[in-house]
Amino acid sequence: MKLFGKWGWMVIILLSIFLLNGCGFKDIDKRFFVVSIGVDIAKNSPKKYLVSLKFAVPSPSKDNPNEFAIVSESADSMSEAVRIIKTKVDKEVDFSHAKVIVLSEDVVKEKGNAGIYYWFSRRRDIQGIAWTAIAKPSALAVLKVNPKGESMPSNALLLSLGKEGSETPYVISEFIFDMKYKLIERGIDPILPIIEAKKDHFEINTVGLFNKSRMMLTLNPEETKILNFLRGREEKSASKVTKGNTTIVIDTHKVKTKYKIHTPRGKAPFIKVNVSVEGTLEEATRRVPNENLSTYEKATEKSLNREVEKVLVKIQKANLDPIGFGLRYRSRHFNNDDWEQWKRIYPAITFKVKTKVQIADTGLIE
Amino acid sequence: MAINQVQSIKDSLKNKIRPAEDVVFKEFHTKEKYIEALYIKTISDETIIQDKLLKPFFEISSPDLFLDYLQSSPLVISFESEQKSLDEVIKGTAILFYQNSIFLFDSKVDRNNSVLDTTVETTIQGPQSGFSESLPTNLGLIRKRYPQTSLNVESTTVGTVSKTDVMIIHDAMRADPDTVTRIKQFLASIDVHMFQTGEQLLDIIKKSNRALVPVMLVTERPDRVAVNLAAGKIIILVSGSPFAVVLPTVMKDFMSSMEDIYQTYWVTKFLQILRYIGFLTSLVLPGLYVAVTSYNPELFRVQLALSIAGSRMSVPYPSFIEVLLMLFMMEMLTEASIRLPKAIGPTATTVGGLILGQAATEAGLVSNIMIIITSSVAISNFVIPINAFSFTLRIMKYFVLALGTLFGLVGVVVGFFMLIAYMVKLDSFGEPFLTLIQSKPSKE
Repeated sequence: MKLFGKWGWMVIILLSIFLLNGCGFKDIDKRFFVVSIGVDIAKNSPKKYLVSLKFAVPSPSKDNPNEFAIVSESADSMSEAVRIIKTKVDKEVDFSHAKVIVLSEDVVKEKGNAGIYYWFSRRRDIQGIAWTAIAKPSALAVLKVNPKGESMPSNALLLSLGKEGSETPYVISEFIFDMKYKLIERGIDPILPIIEAKKDHFEINTVGLFNKSRMMLTLNPEETKILNFLRGREEKSASKVTKGNTTIVIDTHKVKTKYKIHTPRGKAPFIKVNVSVEGTLEEATRRVPNENLSTYEKATEKSLNREVEKVLVKIQKANLDPIGFGLRYRSRHFNNDDWEQWKRIYPAITFKVKTKVQIADTGLIE
Repeated sequence: MAINQVQSIKDSLKNKIRPAEDVVFKEFHTKEKYIEALYIKTISDETIIQDKLLKPFFEISSPDLFLDYLQSSPLVISFESEQKSLDEVIKGTAILFYQNSIFLFDSKVDRNNSVLDTTVETTIQGPQSGFSESLPTNLGLIRKRYPQTSLNVESTTVGTVSKTDVMIIHDAMRADPDTVTRIKQFLASIDVHMFQTGEQLLDIIKKSNRALVPVMLVTERPDRVAVNLAAGKIIILVSGSPFAVVLPTVMKDFMSSMEDIYQTYWVTKFLQILRYIGFLTSLVLPGLYVAVTSYNPELFRVQLALSIAGSRMSVPYPSFIEVLLMLFMMEMLTEASIRLPKAIGPTATTVGGLILGQAATEAGLVSNIMIIITSSVAISNFVIPINAFSFTLRIMKYFVLALGTLFGLVGVVVGFFMLIAYMVKLDSFGEPFLTLIQSKPSKE
């Protein structure tokens, strides 16, 4: 014991601690970052799913920052697939930057995928703010798209889904934590954007509406835009209106939607939806003088009323509720059977849509 | 005093002072009287002896008149004890034996009394001169900046061998009397051989003589001393040192520069925030880098994570060795640039900083990001205005780094909290170290 003094022992203990870095210690260059996860239905295989992980390959130089590797594996469950993919790569698979999850159309159309949906939320290392989307024609195809000018793999998807880049009313994006919440919560249903893989770009302008287990309905781009208006998430958009033989396009600055569920006693329940739109005239096939703007406003209101109601009825017919009318109803009614009540009310409810359009100016100096 | 008594004291003094080249024992005679003087000429001012002692001695012929002159001269103190006289002689006082009495004649030479420029705590504007190395000059400087009759100056000596003169200065109207007594007790309890400068107190204050965080402010600026006196602080001046010690000192004082009162309000606030940010950066950044790159890379944005992963590709060692290597290099540079002669100082910095950093990255020893982190740690370390505290900070960051290496982000947070807890425990003569309120002037 007299070999080292008090300090000598301290130093030796300290040095040996430095050698013992536990399993938590893994340098960033020994990790392989997954940037997006794709799930397909496995073809020509006894297994159920084909899980693909898109890895970002870091390079020491700035010349080709967009290098990536896609590793796929068919398995019956996510965890199984990931375990086997781990054996195919040399570094530790790290999900902490997996920000995009794409599920192929075939997967979401089927029932019984809850295992997959919840797997993403159960994993502690997948961030709750990962974007979730439906892939067309397949998830692998979406992962394989290599858009030009991407600064890192999957950045294009991140930018368009996160609206950090392009802001458009045709994209309705969904976080994984939000999707999980909507899969469980009574009164609101998940909406996922549909990503269509083209040759070297994506097309995201439609959405798929879910019930509690699978995708039931897809909306076309115009309906998607209206749904976005109703959710009050995106204000920059354009509305096309035809009046007589003049067609105008309004560039909206501000779209606000308010709705209220009325259940008058003895009468049929209805939902009053108020949409207010502010914008400027962007395009017109003929000259539109300033004093005639109000007539165009009226025309726009009329056509918007019709369109909004059409979308709402279409969603109602499919017995889906992506806007959360049911949640609103439940939050305002405190009886024990509010959910049963709502399930009775919703299929028969009518929508009274009232839009108010304000066109600020024609965009031109007269 | 009887003649034989004087004679015996004279003999005993002569015995106790070992014969040396510069010890002078001389008799001066006129017709009517004679005087004997004992002094050490290297530390005594011989012009004073010439002007104030010898000239009158030869001009005043009457022995009684000269005795009156000696007794009324402000330079002369009467004999108290043999030990006291010995202590005075070795500081430059001359001992006079005249008739049947013994006098101490203050002939101390006042060397190094030129006022120095500030070199440590430089400011852009405001006074530019610091203290000198002479105690009376320094006291004069303070008195000039702080013309208050309530200024209380007490003198004592510290050091069993060095017997250094130390002055305790405070404004009796503003300083807390309890603190003053506490400081006096502290000075009286000091047991060191050589006491050269106030900085030594930083360590002595701890019972173990091992302190990490300074709880006294050592300054070279008379204006800072004057401002602190007005704030009720107590100043310790040490003979032979151009630094004054300000007591009690809390962290807020370490983070303030004299420039704070020479600038406009918002500029001052901005600079203060900047310093605290610099403090945090310097303390946490190395630990954070290790914790985040090796334990929690999800904290980065994905773009940054990939670029760090890319730049670390060629680095063969784990991140903490990389950090240690680079920090070690930086400490060497800092230390070397203090030691180097002024003329080649900048060369060393350039060679070290630029070339070493560049070469280390290219050789794949460290990543690019690491160079950025090291340099920002080094730079923000020097944002702290008081040197003693910035040195402390240099050490503290290794503690955070070690915990970050072992326990990841949690380690960094816990390490930071442990340092905060340590500083909360500290106090400077009764003043809590992390207090934000300056000690209030007492209402007497």
